[in-house]
Amino acid sequence: MELVDTFYNNPEYIETASGNKVSRSSVLCGSQNIVISGKSIIMTDCVIRGDLANVRIGRHSVISRKAVIRPPFKKFAKGVAFFPLHVGDHVFIDEGSIVNAAQVGSYVHIGKNCVIGRRCVLKDCCAIADNTVLPPETVVPPFTVFSGSPGQFTSELPECTQDLMIDFTMSYYQHFKPVGKGKGK
Amino acid sequence: MANQKSSIKIAPGAVVCDESELHGDITIGTRTVIHPKARIIADAGPIIIGENNIFEELCCVINKAPENSTPGSTQAVMIIGNNNVFEVGCNVEAVKIGDNNIVEAKASVGREVNLTSGCIIGAACSVTCSEELSDNAVIYGANCERRIQKERPPAQTLQIDFLTKILPNYHYLRKPAKQSTPQKS
Repeated sequence: MELVDTFYNNPEYIETASGNKVSRSSVLCGSQNIVISGKSIIMTDCVIRGDLANVRIGRHSVISRKAVIRPPFKKFAKGVAFFPLHVGDHVFIDEGSIVNAAQVGSYVHIGKNCVIGRRCVLKDCCAIADNTVLPPETVVPPFTVFSGSPGQFTSELPECTQDLMIDFTMSYYQHFKPVGKGKGK
Repeated sequence: MANQKSSIKIAPGAVVCDESELHGDITIGTRTVIHPKARIIADAGPIIIGENNIFEELCCVINKAPENSTPGSTQAVMIIGNNNVFEVGCNVEAVKIGDNNIVEAKASVGREVNLTSGCIIGAACSVTCSEELSDNAVIYGANCERRIQKERPPAQTLQIDFLTKILPNYHYLRKPAKQSTPQKS
């Protein structure tokens, strides 16, 4: 099945040399600590907190509107530390989700309005349903779907999840097209 | 971003990012941290914020006029105590908030609710009835179940220390109000 084209206003987005499309109205704090590997889309009103710790986002990932990517913190005997957050390749994060995870693997789908608690580990090829609340330090194993509040295992994913997510994120990128001319200012 | 008519008093030692949205008559206590993109809106009356509070990004604290209010009726002052944490994307309209409360991500607290002290409103929970929550009440899960915790949640002093160190490196801050010159005796 072909995806429908989604259009964006050309002057609103910046396209980098490596093919990332980043909205100008997203909030990237501490941009020197944010690495986006290429061909990823960061949509309007996203917040990525690179000021707290390093954030690395893989290739062909999509961060939808109003999502928040925020490194988690942990308390130690002396002081607290924010942990670096790694998001893998071909990850899709839907609108309004808050990701406080320590690690998000590759080929992961996170639904709308999810809250991923502090220091959760999302392994490769898993999915989080819409409106899920994952409690802190949850580990989501590969090929599982978590849903509910608190998030619990509900079903399994097929073995072809990797190919499905590659297909999905790549065609999403191809169908994310500019409207209007010019680079804008 | 500064609103005309707004009068914002920031005590020395508070960290208030310039990218936060502050409207109206707001007093901010010392060692309070306000992250970028937090919204504090004093529409219907002043907001007084105590010490050692954390307001994370996209949290929305509004002093909103009740629906049945007549214009010119007495203004309600919203008072927020000390050591409270308002996490990412929460929505708070409660007029009276005590000490040591935690409002987690995407939670919402209505105007008629009285948060006493040590209350935790879990992620994505919402409380809107007119009631006074007892001390150390915890609201959690998909059905907003309740229980009373034995001890109050720990204060986030270490996190505040860390944030006050790190946020000025990445963000422009709002200047604290000028201190009155100490009087020589």
